Amino acid sequence: MAILDKIVKPMIAGLGITSKRLGHSRPTVMYPEDKREQFPRTRWRHVLTRHDDGLEKCIGCSLCAGACPARCIYVDAGENTEENRLSPGERHAVRYEINMLRCIFCGYCQDACPTGAIVLRKDFELANYDREEFIFTKEMLLEPALSERSK
Amino acid sequence: MSELIQLGSHNERPMPPKADELNLRFSEQAIKELEGLKTHYPNLKACILPGLWIAQREYGGFLDGDAIAEVAHRLSRSYAEVQGVATFYSMYNTVHNPGKHKIEVCTCLSCHFNSAYRIRDYVSKKLGIKNGETTADGMFMLEEVECLNACDRAPVVQVGDRYFGPVDEKSIDALLEELRASEESTVVKMADQIVQVQLKAEERVGTIR
Amino acid sequence: MAAATDIQTVNIIVNGIELAVPKGELVVEAVKRLGLEIPIFCYHPRLKPVGMCRMCLVETGMKNPQDGTIRMMPKPAAACTLPVSEGLVINTESDALKKDRKGVLEFLLINHPLDCPICDRGGECPLQNNTLFYGPATSRFIEQKRHNVKAYPLSDYVTLDLERCIQCARCIRFTEEISGDSQLAFRFRGNKTHPITFNETKFTSKFSGNVIEICPVGALTNRKYRFRARPWDLQTSEAVCLNCSNGCNIWFDHRAGKVVRINARTNEAINEEWTCDKGKFGHDYYNDEKRLETPFARTGDELQKADYATVYAKLLEAFHGDNTGMILGDSLSNETYITAQNFFTGQLGSHNIDYRFSANQAKGASTVDNSIASLELAKTTLVFGTHLADDLPIVFLRVRKGWFNQGTQVILATDRSDEVSEFAAHTLVYKPGTEATIAKAFAGQVSVADAAAKCGISEPELQAAITAAAGATVITTTSLNHEAAEVLKALDGNFNAYPTGANERGAQLALACDGLSALEQLKKAANGELSALWVVGVDLFSVGLPREEVIRALENVDFLAVQDSRRTETFYYASVALPMTLPAEQDGSYTNCEGTTQQMKAIIPPVGQAKPAWRVFEELSIRVNPRMPFSQASEILASAPAFA
Repeated sequence: MAILDKIVKPMIAGLGITSKRLGHSRPTVMYPEDKREQFPRTRWRHVLTRHDDGLEKCIGCSLCAGACPARCIYVDAGENTEENRLSPGERHAVRYEINMLRCIFCGYCQDACPTGAIVLRKDFELANYDREEFIFTKEMLLEPALSERSK
Repeated sequence: MSELIQLGSHNERPMPPKADELNLRFSEQAIKELEGLKTHYPNLKACILPGLWIAQREYGGFLDGDAIAEVAHRLSRSYAEVQGVATFYSMYNTVHNPGKHKIEVCTCLSCHFNSAYRIRDYVSKKLGIKNGETTADGMFMLEEVECLNACDRAPVVQVGDRYFGPVDEKSIDALLEELRASEESTVVKMADQIVQVQLKAEERVGTIR
Repeated sequence: MAAATDIQTVNIIVNGIELAVPKGELVVEAVKRLGLEIPIFCYHPRLKPVGMCRMCLVETGMKNPQDGTIRMMPKPAAACTLPVSEGLVINTESDALKKDRKGVLEFLLINHPLDCPICDRGGECPLQNNTLFYGPATSRFIEQKRHNVKAYPLSDYVTLDLERCIQCARCIRFTEEISGDSQLAFRFRGNKTHPITFNETKFTSKFSGNVIEICPVGALTNRKYRFRARPWDLQTSEAVCLNCSNGCNIWFDHRAGKVVRINARTNEAINEEWTCDKGKFGHDYYNDEKRLETPFARTGDELQKADYATVYAKLLEAFHGDNTGMILGDSLSNETYITAQNFFTGQLGSHNIDYRFSANQAKGASTVDNSIASLELAKTTLVFGTHLADDLPIVFLRVRKGWFNQGTQVILATDRSDEVSEFAAHTLVYKPGTEATIAKAFAGQVSVADAAAKCGISEPELQAAITAAAGATVITTTSLNHEAAEVLKALDGNFNAYPTGANERGAQLALACDGLSALEQLKKAANGELSALWVVGVDLFSVGLPREEVIRALENVDFLAVQDSRRTETFYYASVALPMTLPAEQDGSYTNCEGTTQQMKAIIPPVGQAKPAWRVFEELSIRVNPRMPFSQASEILASAPAFA
């Protein structure tokens, strides 16, 4: 009897829980093959967006750098000319760098941006093997133009 | 607004003219008159307005850069200051060359009620110019002006130092014909008359008509 | 200046607090005595008030002297044009004033574009600040704003953005009252009013940079600083300008170790709050791509990178005895001159250490009776043989200020008319080379008729100028003809021969100058009589000597050591070369033309392996004669009696 009480009954109870759960949906995902859907307002990797006509929204005003509590943004601006026009208006960013090791993903840069150029999106896979790789340059941050995106 | 500024090259602005690069065009008479006018005022700055009237006469009614530079040079003032004064007052022609005759149509209340805009549109159509433009042959300029203080004669038109009113299409036709036929430029004549009025009798070279 | 007791005071009431202030002081200044601040745009303490912006509105009233009742005026008044008078009552804070200020700002902002994110003034803009503190949060103006030209280059240094202009006339008043060139003026009227040069010609003022700083909006911006940084990106340090001998106090704005712009720092004794364009825009040499970063040594025909030890060994081998010479530039630090003198004369035993390239300089050292600030109080000033606006820009501003404010009579005697002749009572343009004759005419040593004939001046003009110049304060430079300088020095009035090199005065104090002058050293070198020459901080090709002479000197000297911050033309003749730090990269002190010694701290890191010149001399010195070397610039200065 002791065997029945001490071993068989718990086993049956345990298997019962297991069999009950077999019908439930699976909470774990098979990362990296499967990825969980992020919350709509989640703040991960920064993206520099573009206008519909392909011009960059960033005007190199450095307000994001001023707002950044971790001081991880560096902006160098330049003047737009007729031949080299990157953004509407007079000014564009020549260099735009974010040190992802220092970034705390607070989203203040997004709040400060007067043109809505810098946004924090859902791409959360930021691990890397090299410290240098964590300096995200303007080329890495810029989203592709609409024409290129469709390809 | 921005049409008032010559854009020019983005990298190189022309240098302001040096004193010896100026193209001085004042006649003997004008220089004499200016010398007389200088004695009327406590300093040369106060003499800028009459100086500009002389220049407006000497330069055929249009105060271009050369004219302003000459006045500034003769009165030892800076070019920019004289240009600032000249552009402030609307009776100095600093932006467009007014041609020989400047037709100023009053569009204030009384004239407006008496169809000043019809007169303006008629002149405009007849000469093929809009407000503030000069005809291709450099004969007429049309300008809308504020009250000419002649409401009893509305609608009134000023040409040089003469008022015409009340005018209608017919009298405008006659006026334009008369002006076209005359040798003298009313713009220059008015400038001359203003200069003569400002001079004392013993300094006067010309005559007051 | 009148003594403090002579100033008549009046009693006024500011926000209920009784206050005695000098009679006639403007309300906007008087309230500062209570620590209050009235928002302003067009008012500037150094310019005449015009009352254009209406931002400084205050409520005013009068106190009845009989019964002490206060009667307020029904409408506010502009504080910048209202002088105080007995019994004046001022309120600077009230609900009505808040509404007035909101209204004024709303009007100013109607046509002001909201491009602050790309405006170079954004972040340090008085319009932004005042709008934040006093302005409305929103605008009721929803129509199209006025459009005008943007980014219009007035000159190589100044960009004009007319959409941003609020017509305060500060720039115009600056050019009329301070710099005196009157190159800017308002054109047109009403909503077309805009400040611009005559016919959009180049803004050639030698003080054009100041209008950028006094502009309360971003209408006039710095073309060299355009889009290079925002104010919060910058680190700012106190510094001294070393582009000429006036020693203007400046703010040195740098970002990531690179100088970005120069702004004026207020120093009432020297530059007030102005800079000249040379000082404000002439800082390219810091970021020059020709900066010398490592020591070089010559092997055969080629200069190759070397280390300090190699170069030091070569230097100590080449330099000893009186057959060697050292030429120093005139803009090095006092510490450099002191250590150079100690090392070169004390350790290496040569007296040929000098900074003077002109024969006149070599004969007479600078003598200064007047400080820069006292020049504006002179009754009569004789500017002799110098173009002040080029040579001593800040002295020029002081002389002009004296003329403008106190009616100083200015007499100019020079070889071509310049900015000073615009306001000088007498301008004498003499033939070049006749300085001595005309100076003697001033001293009465030659007859006026003879001098006038010889110098090409009309006799009555010269006579009038000489009569007017009795007892005048003489202003000239050390490069003036020596004979003329001696004559002028003996005149009754004060005599000022200001040096023109940035630290020429320091060199004069620190160096004994008992050997060959720089000019004589070069002549000797050209004859092959100098075995080794050491050139510190000067490009011999840019000191005004004939090229062939310099080349002959450099080619005929056996060993040429060059110590400089850049790869100058002289560098390519060097046997060994050492990199040198620039003033902002090292601690040091500099003595300006009036004799004020000003300290400067290292602000940005040195380029490559560059070292301060004094450190090189100290390191060499202990190799010759082991002792405890100086490790800090301040120790060196303290050790020199000339600078005590």
